[in-house]
Amino acid sequence: MFVLQTYGISFFVRCKKVQDDIWKMEGWMDIKLTEEMSIMEKLGILSDAAKYDVACTSSGVDRKGDGKGIGNSVAGGICHSFSADGRCISLLKILFTNECIYDCKYCINRKSNDVPRASFTPDEVCDLTMQFYRRNYIEGLFLSSGILYSPNYTMELIYQTIFKLRNEHHFQGYIHVKAIPGADPVLIQKVGMIVDRMSINLELPTAEGLRQLAPNKIRKNILGPMKQIQMGISENKNELMVYRNAPKFVPAGQSTQMIIGATPESDFQIMTIAENLYQKFDLKRVFYSAFVHVNDDKDLPALPGGPPLLREHRLYQADFLLRFYGFTTDELLSESKPNFNVLLDPKCDWALRHLDIFPVEINRADYQLLLRIPGIGVKSAQRIVRARKNGNLNFEDLKKIGVILKRALYFITCNYKMMYQTKIEEDYIVRNLLTVKEKLPLQVGDLSYSQLSLFNDSNYNGNTNQIQLFQELKAGVM
Amino acid sequence: MISPYGKRIDQYILICQDSIEGVFSAIYDAYAEKYDAQTTRIQTSEDDNYRLFATYVQMEPDQEKTRKVARTVLREFGEETYTDICRALASEDADKADAVYHAICSGLKMKNKCELMGNLANDDVRHVFELSRYAGREIMHMNGFLRFQELEGGVLFSKIGPRNNIITFLAPHFSDRLPLENFVIYDEVRQLFVIHPAGKQWTLVTGEYLDEDRVLKFSDREKEYQELFTFFCQKIAIKERINFNLQRSMLPLHYREYMVEFKIS
Repeated sequence: MFVLQTYGISFFVRCKKVQDDIWKMEGWMDIKLTEEMSIMEKLGILSDAAKYDVACTSSGVDRKGDGKGIGNSVAGGICHSFSADGRCISLLKILFTNECIYDCKYCINRKSNDVPRASFTPDEVCDLTMQFYRRNYIEGLFLSSGILYSPNYTMELIYQTIFKLRNEHHFQGYIHVKAIPGADPVLIQKVGMIVDRMSINLELPTAEGLRQLAPNKIRKNILGPMKQIQMGISENKNELMVYRNAPKFVPAGQSTQMIIGATPESDFQIMTIAENLYQKFDLKRVFYSAFVHVNDDKDLPALPGGPPLLREHRLYQADFLLRFYGFTTDELLSESKPNFNVLLDPKCDWALRHLDIFPVEINRADYQLLLRIPGIGVKSAQRIVRARKNGNLNFEDLKKIGVILKRALYFITCNYKMMYQTKIEEDYIVRNLLTVKEKLPLQVGDLSYSQLSLFNDSNYNGNTNQIQLFQELKAGVM
Repeated sequence: MISPYGKRIDQYILICQDSIEGVFSAIYDAYAEKYDAQTTRIQTSEDDNYRLFATYVQMEPDQEKTRKVARTVLREFGEETYTDICRALASEDADKADAVYHAICSGLKMKNKCELMGNLANDDVRHVFELSRYAGREIMHMNGFLRFQELEGGVLFSKIGPRNNIITFLAPHFSDRLPLENFVIYDEVRQLFVIHPAGKQWTLVTGEYLDEDRVLKFSDREKEYQELFTFFCQKIAIKERINFNLQRSMLPLHYREYMVEFKIS
């Protein structure tokens, strides 16, 4: 490494193929230039580089301030703003550095990319967090990082920053930190004691995909720390039972994210993996991130229609069905039907395949069954269970409670009467559901004859019959 | 007045102050003076048109009566209902006092009183529930969307213009969050101030006037942090996923008037 010390703050610039013959460092060299870079420029580069991380939630831990520092935390999380893409801005989401020794093909910060590089100093991160926090711009800090020199070195830098924030600035707000795969377990343990949430990105759903697109990362190195954090949390719970004031280890739990659409996995595979993560690793959340094409690489799929947002949407819907509605992956998808329906949400799709159990009597059905009715969510189901203690409910009451009747009416009875005379028949219900201008995600609107017949794309996996119906309806409308 | 069918058709309309204290005192008096709940209304403002067969009674707020009603509500219905009622009374709705009064009346007749707010088939309860949800949502939003600006002496100042009278619900959250800061939250619509001196309890100040041009001098670094945050908000958006409709439904335009990241462009 060639070090030039000229001004004050140091940062690194990688120059591609400059004087290869002189410094034979894999065709690369690091010039440690010390040049004044304003905090504004750094924030620009490092938030730009962090924006593809989806886990921006600030939820999972309820903590009052102790009156001596600054900050508290609310279990439900607080959204402080929304960016132009409609995603919430809750945490100051930045990378510590976008320097990286890895060359993951999908990542904008891979080492073979010629992008401006910058690094924060721990003091700069602390200052930004504190000043943003007291103005109520943010709920806390989300700190991730490219891998500088080695995983351990990077993790240590992150630890120092968080330590400073917690102990010198007495910051008691929310902190979410990415664990760097391959970092020493001791470091992960140390970081876990002072942050609220940790996450390790699974990056790609399968080990095969990881080998293909992230050659420097090994699945073992990702699942290892995940297991460690899980064990740490459960051990800590036992400690807390005995010693109420014992320090808490990752109190808001851990999460992970995977990229959807960069590798050819089916929805069924992805959901099976997510289900396993929830069951075996006790994850709080699995995030799905529609693949955004930022690098041109022969191993990456071309996505002319933009990121697969509809697929991401369906995966999130199914994810919520797993976590809050008591569904299992096997019920939603199978080997023979590996992808979600484009036109209908997974719950509606499930209901249409199980018409034998419908219609359901609202005043009798148990909570679990209520949850399975399309148009009834967790909140409405809870309200129904509470409200019917005081007498039978009718359709008018259901409407007031917040049930979406235009969807639910085909599947329910009140006092053993249906709302209208409707048939319990798949085609009939689909036709009616699609005419009420169900709020369809953007991409469905683009369905056209040619696309369907030419591409047998996994994205457009509707029941052929349903798609025909949809097109007839669309033609009729226009 | 008695109708030919033997039913009372005259109404009593109790007018009370627009505050939790005013409404609770009116509810106390309605019970103490044995008004019939079916023919009695409680209103926080007078009607534009007076009704012919109605008797209007002016109510005075009273601390002792308020405390008694609050105690009864807490004891009989539990904390959840009490919070819901307080939130509903913070909302801007002409019928809020009446809805709360009748919800309490029907609640006291129920067998399982803590289930009052679950009885959504009852119109009054539902009305209270909806008002409470409306105000509650705004409280939740304001906890996030409120912005402080640093004045010259280091005091944090925030101006808000909420639709419901929620400033007293915001104060506990922020004084827990920023215990060592001097801050002021100013409700522009209702001319209310919450003042929190560092390390002390917050207080509500009413009846003061704020001369913004004279008093508000921002600190040197304030502008810099506002620009940094605005820049951050722009950078964090993924341009392949731009969706302004989604942004607008998550963050309605009326909040943006007071938010620094939408001011500078």
